[in-house]
Amino acid sequence: MRAVIVETDILTPFGPGIDACWDGLLANRTAISRLTRFSTKALFSDYAGTIPGLTYHGEMSLVMQMISQLFARTGTKIPTDAKLLLATTKGEIDLLEKSIITGTGDGAESSLSNLLKKVINLTGTTGGGLVVSAACTSSSAAAARAAATIRSGHADCVLVVACDCVSEFVFSGFSSLMALDKVPARPFDKNRAGLSVGEAAAYLLVMSEERALREKRPITGEIAGWGMSDDANHMTGPSRESEGLVRAINAALDSAGISADRVGFVSAHGTGTPYNDAMEMRAFRAVFRGRNVPVYSIKGGIGHTMGAAGLVEMAIAQRARRENVVPPTVNLKDADDDAIAWVSDHRRVVEPNAIALVTNAGFSGINSALVLA
Amino acid sequence: MMISVRGIGWVTSTGYGSVRLGLQHQFAQGEGIHSLAKLGIFSQPFKNFGRLDGMSRKTVSAVALALQDAGVEYSSACKQDIGIIGTSREGSLKSDIDYFKDYVENGRTLSRANLFIYTLPSSALGEAAIHFGLIGPLLYATALDGSFAEFFDMSVEMIVAGETGRMLVGNIVEDEALYFVIDGKQEGNAFCSLIEARSIVESTHGIPEILRQLSILKIKKGIA
Repeated sequence: MRAVIVETDILTPFGPGIDACWDGLLANRTAISRLTRFSTKALFSDYAGTIPGLTYHGEMSLVMQMISQLFARTGTKIPTDAKLLLATTKGEIDLLEKSIITGTGDGAESSLSNLLKKVINLTGTTGGGLVVSAACTSSSAAAARAAATIRSGHADCVLVVACDCVSEFVFSGFSSLMALDKVPARPFDKNRAGLSVGEAAAYLLVMSEERALREKRPITGEIAGWGMSDDANHMTGPSRESEGLVRAINAALDSAGISADRVGFVSAHGTGTPYNDAMEMRAFRAVFRGRNVPVYSIKGGIGHTMGAAGLVEMAIAQRARRENVVPPTVNLKDADDDAIAWVSDHRRVVEPNAIALVTNAGFSGINSALVLA
Repeated sequence: MMISVRGIGWVTSTGYGSVRLGLQHQFAQGEGIHSLAKLGIFSQPFKNFGRLDGMSRKTVSAVALALQDAGVEYSSACKQDIGIIGTSREGSLKSDIDYFKDYVENGRTLSRANLFIYTLPSSALGEAAIHFGLIGPLLYATALDGSFAEFFDMSVEMIVAGETGRMLVGNIVEDEALYFVIDGKQEGNAFCSLIEARSIVESTHGIPEILRQLSILKIKKGIA
């Protein structure tokens, strides 16, 4: 049973919708800006990718403001029988911040189960719901589970919702790890020095091909293969040998029933940290064996949106497939030696309906790879 | 493909054990989850067990007991294609509070990386992956009703689709942790079928009662 994508939308620092993000990336613009949401005086950076107009520590959490905006835009009715997979790393962590800073409220309000209840109510789904959290691969892991559930015949409609926000909690944590670049992130650049935290919300409606055709839904792509692995190496850094990501990519290609030479381009995780980007390039070289495949990262444009990254990157990769062009890697000036001829600061034309590989990696050494066809 | 349960390990605030081998140890005075690394449950020394957060200590201990129960040898140096799915109602809430309170008490200027790394619900599973050399899929998941059985189904999907050969599936409820080793391999003795285990987990409330039902099943099956 093929798992096909029938609807997707995103809210990113470029604003609502895939068009806004796509146009920003193609124009080689960054939506990363100086952070005013909280004081960054003592922190390692003051840049982040934030969504304009959100209220911090207000009545509603940041991610619920984002998800509400996202679904208010949709013209598509979400099938009520859809199974819901909610992907996030920290969900409504700003509620916990508020309760600790002010000494009021209950930190337990920030539990992921509470957020799941809210998203079920908002989307009106009755097909059951799960939170899936796998560090910064959360939403690609959830998309993989959605496709696996459909392929196995256990469900024919799955709604994946992803979200994470820029909070003092997360920002100070990345700062303590010295993982932040002092300037907007520069993935794959020789002078890259860390990531920029970003925020986003996204959803993806996945159906069995049979149901999508029966309901006359527009099919925009297929999650043709997926692979997940763990490095079993380090809590916060990737394995420098890249064997974990290579295993995830090979599993995804096997799952899709294709060889590496069919892949037309790669949407990389590309955080801008020295270790991640070097690890990814090593993996791509191992998988594609001498063939330079167009690789890009969108994190110089919107920052690292953590649990939402995979879904946003899938949406952009889908758009790239449709337009036969991949966006530039924003903020790239001087490509690292191992990335030369793979990444570019210009948009590039790719084969019509090229098969896309989307990679993500996260804390605890988690790797994911998705094949979009 | 027939999916079987190979081993089950558990930890509570009063003791620890495994189901198939019938291991059952009550903590002596002064012992507890914090002292599990000294009680011989790990077949290789667990470096820095004391620096782990509570969720990680319970997870790695129950995993060690489950692997031992299943007869699966391990080493961080010799990695194996085993995946892990963990669930809990609270996720990383306690570590979240510890991290952010500490940060606020330090005037919102100094944050501690060693506390921050445990603020992901999947962090405890990462500690298990590193110590036991687990290189299969790893994720934390939680259901609205706190149900655990659904994650057996997810694991089966992974095994049947060839995403991994073997899975650890576990649940943590406050001070109690329970982990199962499941696979679709033909060789070796299974403790029970996944259907039997799923039925117990789905119809039984609380880890102590699940353990009691599993013990009854063991007697019924005549497993010594």
